[in-house]
Amino acid sequence: MAEHTIIGKSVRKVDGIELVTGKAKFTADMKFPGMLYGYELRAGVPAGIIESIDASEALKEPGVHMVLTAKDLLGPNLIGVLPPFDQPVLPDREIRYAGESIALVVADTREGAKRACRNIKAVITPIEPILTMEQALAEDARKIHPQGNVTFSRTLTKGNVEQGFAEADVVIEGSYTTTFQDHCYIEPEIACAVPSGDNRITLYVSCQSPFHIRGHVAANLNVPASKVKVVQAYTGGSFGGKDDAAVEIGILAGTAALKLGRPVTIAHEREESIAGTNVRHAAEIAYKTGARKDGTITARQVKVLLDGGAYASESPFVTMKAMIHASGPYAIDHIEVESTSVYTNKTYAGAFRGFGVPQVTFASESEIDELAKHLGIDPLELRRKNGLKAGDKTATSQVYDQSVGYLQTLDAVEPSLRETGTKENDGRYLYGTGIASVIQGISNGAEGVDVVGASVQMSQDASVLVGCGLAEMGQGSRTVFSQIAAEVLGIPVDWVTVRQVDTDAVHDSGPTVASRSTTVGGMAVKQAAETVRQSLVKMASLMFKTDESMIVLKEGFAVLTVDDTARIPLRDVATAAYWTGFPLMHLAFSQAEPADFDHDTHQGRVYIAYNFGTHLMHVKVDRYTGEVEVLKHVASHDVGKVVNPMAASGQVEGASLIGFALGHMEKVEYKDGIIQNPTFADYAFPSIRDRIPTETIFVEDPTPHGPYGAKGIGEPPVAAAAAAFANAVSQAVGHRFTHIPITREDIAAVLQEEV
Amino acid sequence: MEYVQPDTLEAAVSRLGRGGCTILSGGTDLAVVNRASGLKPECFVDICRISQFSGMELGEEGLHIGPCTTIAELAASAEIPHCLSQGASAIGSPQIRNAATVGGNICNASPCGDTLSPMVALSASFVLVSPRGSRAVDAETFFLGPKKTVLADDELLTDIIIGREFLKGTSAFKMLGKRKGQVISQVNAAVWLLLEDGVVAKVQAAFGSVAPVPLRARQTEAFLTGKELDAGTIHESLAYVKQDIRPISDIRASEAYRYRLAESIFHDVLKQAAGLACC
Amino acid sequence: MVIHFTCNGKPVTVDVDGDMRVLDVLRDVLDLTGTKEGCGEGECGACTIILNGKTVNSCLLYAGKLQGAVVETIEGLSGDSAGLHPIQESFLEEGAVQCGFCTPGMVLSTKALLDRHPDPSIKEIETALSGNFCRCTGYGKIMKAVVSSAEKLRDSREDGHQSGTGLGVKRG
Repeated sequence: MAEHTIIGKSVRKVDGIELVTGKAKFTADMKFPGMLYGYELRAGVPAGIIESIDASEALKEPGVHMVLTAKDLLGPNLIGVLPPFDQPVLPDREIRYAGESIALVVADTREGAKRACRNIKAVITPIEPILTMEQALAEDARKIHPQGNVTFSRTLTKGNVEQGFAEADVVIEGSYTTTFQDHCYIEPEIACAVPSGDNRITLYVSCQSPFHIRGHVAANLNVPASKVKVVQAYTGGSFGGKDDAAVEIGILAGTAALKLGRPVTIAHEREESIAGTNVRHAAEIAYKTGARKDGTITARQVKVLLDGGAYASESPFVTMKAMIHASGPYAIDHIEVESTSVYTNKTYAGAFRGFGVPQVTFASESEIDELAKHLGIDPLELRRKNGLKAGDKTATSQVYDQSVGYLQTLDAVEPSLRETGTKENDGRYLYGTGIASVIQGISNGAEGVDVVGASVQMSQDASVLVGCGLAEMGQGSRTVFSQIAAEVLGIPVDWVTVRQVDTDAVHDSGPTVASRSTTVGGMAVKQAAETVRQSLVKMASLMFKTDESMIVLKEGFAVLTVDDTARIPLRDVATAAYWTGFPLMHLAFSQAEPADFDHDTHQGRVYIAYNFGTHLMHVKVDRYTGEVEVLKHVASHDVGKVVNPMAASGQVEGASLIGFALGHMEKVEYKDGIIQNPTFADYAFPSIRDRIPTETIFVEDPTPHGPYGAKGIGEPPVAAAAAAFANAVSQAVGHRFTHIPITREDIAAVLQEEV
Repeated sequence: MEYVQPDTLEAAVSRLGRGGCTILSGGTDLAVVNRASGLKPECFVDICRISQFSGMELGEEGLHIGPCTTIAELAASAEIPHCLSQGASAIGSPQIRNAATVGGNICNASPCGDTLSPMVALSASFVLVSPRGSRAVDAETFFLGPKKTVLADDELLTDIIIGREFLKGTSAFKMLGKRKGQVISQVNAAVWLLLEDGVVAKVQAAFGSVAPVPLRARQTEAFLTGKELDAGTIHESLAYVKQDIRPISDIRASEAYRYRLAESIFHDVLKQAAGLACC
Repeated sequence: MVIHFTCNGKPVTVDVDGDMRVLDVLRDVLDLTGTKEGCGEGECGACTIILNGKTVNSCLLYAGKLQGAVVETIEGLSGDSAGLHPIQESFLEEGAVQCGFCTPGMVLSTKALLDRHPDPSIKEIETALSGNFCRCTGYGKIMKAVVSSAEKLRDSREDGHQSGTGLGVKRG
């Protein structure tokens, strides 16, 4: 393999200085003359009919400029991810969840707008809410949307499960449930709309898919998309959450700004972020797994029900992703997965790091451990026996002839398993070790076309500006893109700047989702940089009067391969190239190999690659209180190629804690359709004292579809950490928990019967 | 809005007598309440500049703790009974503890306030002053319910006294919540213990978050008094803990789990106070 | 009310309502936007400032409390042209920054800790940062950054130098 100078190195975050000094401008840090603030009035009942909204009293308050309701909107009043869009910006009649906005007050201050909300008289006739999937799917259920209460339903069929079960010696079944989880980025959703005086409008937004916002804002302001400019401000985390919500407040702020001719900012408070905007789907999942005595899994049949809340949002794609991943990283001949998302009168569920995979992985990996117990086979050996290898058929019968590093991730955690597996229980404390594996598709796959446009522009001083439509939300894509451009062009990383996403200036690159930035985005940057490199090499060959093959670019110089001291500074090469007329900028497109997929059976080519992983957790449980201490956590992932070890392990550590919290701590709690814990005081967000001691082990089995072989790593650890936790605790307690989060209280409740 | 910072008790009481005032100490609870209500107070009387309101001093009756002593100062203090500094350490985060005051924690009267059960276990006395005069109220009778106390609108907590008796002996506090850092108690407990030759000469215990107000554990105390404090006695005492508390299910924990935690926590604090190896 | 206080070493006078949040005084009146709002109720710590040497949540602090006080914000830490404070260096070196929204608060909590305890234990670090939430990093790299900043600051003191910004580090 070629030696890399920058790829594979722990380069510091390139946009880190402005963040550690507090100078980075997040949306809330931008002030514009005459700026006003919006605050949304929320329904407060999970289902109902709006009879009237009287804002006359609110409008009399000093400092209040406007109250917007559905009738004041300028466009179709519909948003969503997939047509037919089902979510109103503000409902004109029916309320479908308690946190739904029904009006926007615009005032001089946020506090003033919030106070004025109290003086809006909204007459709402409550309807009996539908709060469970069972209620929603009942035959005589009221329809939350005209098309019914099933948002999306598909079935994957590989082989014939009946035949598979007939071949089995053992068949086990289990039912599992998971709950809603909130994204909890520290910066709540915010958007600022500024009329720009040229008959256009600019939105500064904390978001992850700027072009998605542009499209929806333009449609709902009833202006051409080219009249809308979206600038992604520094974004304080997103994890899937700042898509629909950013669209909603972007449209509201934009509408108010257009009508008033003044800048308008809408900044959510924490309670609004939790209760008003999307969460991770809750799930009810039934598994049936058949295996031969030797451990060979012959069939898996799965039914996934996802509670998507009031609106579709990403439910269709989450439903598909859960379906494709439900059988796990195993080569199984007979698979049937029915996956369905359902409407209920709760806060809508959408994208959240992992995207349907954590729910099914928890269930699947719990069941694999149960199967191991049944068969008397070591859980790791059972996984190894069935694990996918290059050349095997995935659940969709796709065959990868490389970059299937699953078994290596098992090998990586095995020593720790042997070390920790034998700890004796003592008096008050119980010990347990669990492992869990994950498979996670990289790229949009069958969810749509997967194209990224990236530009690389070199100035005459050899500094480089990279533009790409994918958003930096903290995950480090700017750093990765800088590394790739610097590697290709032979310059130091700090000569590269990756610009903010501004829809006027970069190409639509689709949403920043599906762990695709490094893989698909990185490819585009690499290709653009390679084209610029050609100009430099051509120019240098003219300057050296030698063949292009004799030139390398490194350390900011064009260097002769045969004489390392023969160097021309790249700024001289770039300047000469400019004056010679060689292009120094290129816009490249990376298109993931398109999916080739049968949408009835869901068989075929889906993702360009999968990330594989295995986590091990070793826990100590206090049998009195149910407190759990994670003594060891090993996370191994096949990432193809590590571009930046520090950034990649940072992704693993962060995603693992979110997974651990999903497994142990966090849940959005409802009572009568109203969220009871919409604050950090009562939503059990993990503090630094709740962290887990994640050790990351990378497996590098390169993919031809990513830059230098790299595959994404942003999402997969969530699922594996949650599932490994569940297996570890179940082993420690000697009881199979079939629900996450497994809280201290749940653990104590089980032990209470046994002490 | 009016914001006054009296530097004497007299000035504060006189302003309070004119009405329309909100007493402001550290403000960490008040700011949350005011943000939620969206209401703008007419007048804040910030009492933290009254010099006698800060710090601790040993007097004839016992240890005087000024109401504006911060929770952080309390947490760091070696002069006060251990359960009180432990309770203070358990509150919120460093940022909260640096701003919040002990008087504020008491007057806010949250059933889960972590200095409350220590105050009750230590039979602390609260001195309340209004334009009508001064009175002393025992910690146990001060609290009437969640966010409710015997304080009148124009009445000010001016002094907290831990009696001399309770400066002897040993004490301990423990709480558990939904996470490990920056967390609200699902249950907390404080115990003060006077052992003579391994025998319980006197014990006082109190629980928080198991009732609308912090509760003294009288039946448990009665059982323990006069007994030799060994593992068996401690274990037996847990049966009385159940009788002493009356928890409910809410967003933070179920009733059943609160019973479970109360026993476990009491087990731990009793051992800790007795200097026995714990957990 | 007219309030005089010291902010990042400079005397400041503002005329605001006494019940204005200090967070808003800093961000809206003084344009010091490095102090962030994450929850508005003292849970997340993004609004952490150092007041008279101690960290507080500026979202829960009323402006009246600033009278005569000494305030340090993230801008004070990085205000010197000499470059980054050793704590900021360490946060970058260790990969303790992802989205960066919690970072100013984390850095200030670290500074307040190290000003008092130059050689903190892991438990002391955990306690000091327990009021600063981070959703991105999982906290492991933040712990490493604090340990490494403590080392840097101790080394610089042993070498007889002041810390990089010239703000100095108080002993004791």
